[in-house]
Amino acid sequence: MSYKFDKIRILVVEDNNPMLEICKSLLLTFGVGEVLSAKNGEDGFNVFKKENPDIVVADWMMQPMDGISLTRRIRNDPASPNQYVPIILMTGFSEKKRVVQARDSGVTEFLVKPFTARDLYKRIAQIIERPRQFVRSEDFFGPDRRRKAAESFEGPFKRESDAKLMAAQKVRMKEASVHLDELRSKAGLSKGDKIDIIDVDFS
Amino acid sequence: MTKKDDDTHFNMAPKRKADFHQPPNNLKFKVGQGGLSDDILDKAQALLENNTTDFRPLGEMYLDSMMRGINAVKSSPDSKTNDEAIIAAILFPAMQLKANGGMFHYNLVTSISDRLIQFLEVIDEVDQDALEIVMAFHTTIRAVLLGQIRGHGGQRGADLMQALIDACFRYFEKHPQKKTSK
Repeated sequence: MSYKFDKIRILVVEDNNPMLEICKSLLLTFGVGEVLSAKNGEDGFNVFKKENPDIVVADWMMQPMDGISLTRRIRNDPASPNQYVPIILMTGFSEKKRVVQARDSGVTEFLVKPFTARDLYKRIAQIIERPRQFVRSEDFFGPDRRRKAAESFEGPFKRESDAKLMAAQKVRMKEASVHLDELRSKAGLSKGDKIDIIDVDFS
Repeated sequence: MTKKDDDTHFNMAPKRKADFHQPPNNLKFKVGQGGLSDDILDKAQALLENNTTDFRPLGEMYLDSMMRGINAVKSSPDSKTNDEAIIAAILFPAMQLKANGGMFHYNLVTSISDRLIQFLEVIDEVDQDALEIVMAFHTTIRAVLLGQIRGHGGQRGADLMQALIDACFRYFEKHPQKKTSK
């Protein structure tokens, strides 16, 4: 059993034509039913109002209206047909302050270019499987900017990359255990005996 | 003492009211479950890798835009500015080069532009020395495009990158005060 993307429609807002075509082709290869497109934030909002797509994928840098302004408009304009629509913002920026800027405008996911097909798919899967709750405060309306805590989380290792750290730590623990055995043997001690470091001859 | 004084310590940010909503997950209802197969994802990735779009006209357009930003700095009266808008005139084309180079097989353009962005993000003004660094980046990217150096460019690409990194280091050694932590 797999996702049936044929029932969903995605709006891609991108001013760079080759990039727009690539995004459309990727989404159609994923099996998306219909891919709508627009050349900038202003046109994008008009298409959004008319078509009410299930997901919006927008570039950041566009003229006259960029992806951040489009996001704010979708989230706050009374004419917006769905203020909760998931928005994936594509950009070359990866610096923390830019991610925060995008997050504060109300984007759901951030996709750094250049990206792979799996990167784009992961953002879509994240939207489907882990939708964020929405927050309305005096000066913000958008997805909760905090990541949800996983209920099954039992330790400090959270991300995929942490598995490497965990493996490296296991190796270090094993090495430490070997060194401890050496110390015991040099000191003529057995497991369970208390060890006093100043009594061991390291020569 | 007012009620507000009771609730908030003098140096604490005041609490803001926020309402939380959990919108219905219509997407999940529409697409079902199970994800996409590796076959589909591999096919999509192959489509990316086999796209034959010529990035050079687009790259040249962004380089021209960057040059306009460089000229704007040069034409300022004291050849020195801390105007965010002028930095942006160089930064935004650099970002476009970084974003799009790798999408169209010019990964070295992405790496070089990424380094230029890092440089621009930590300086708070573009003086003559900084401008020379930016020009070096611009010239190198143009050379990569003219030479059609696709991918990471092998040893030649690594040497070009190292030369630019060294130039940035030399700049910050000469102007340690210009490195801001943004």
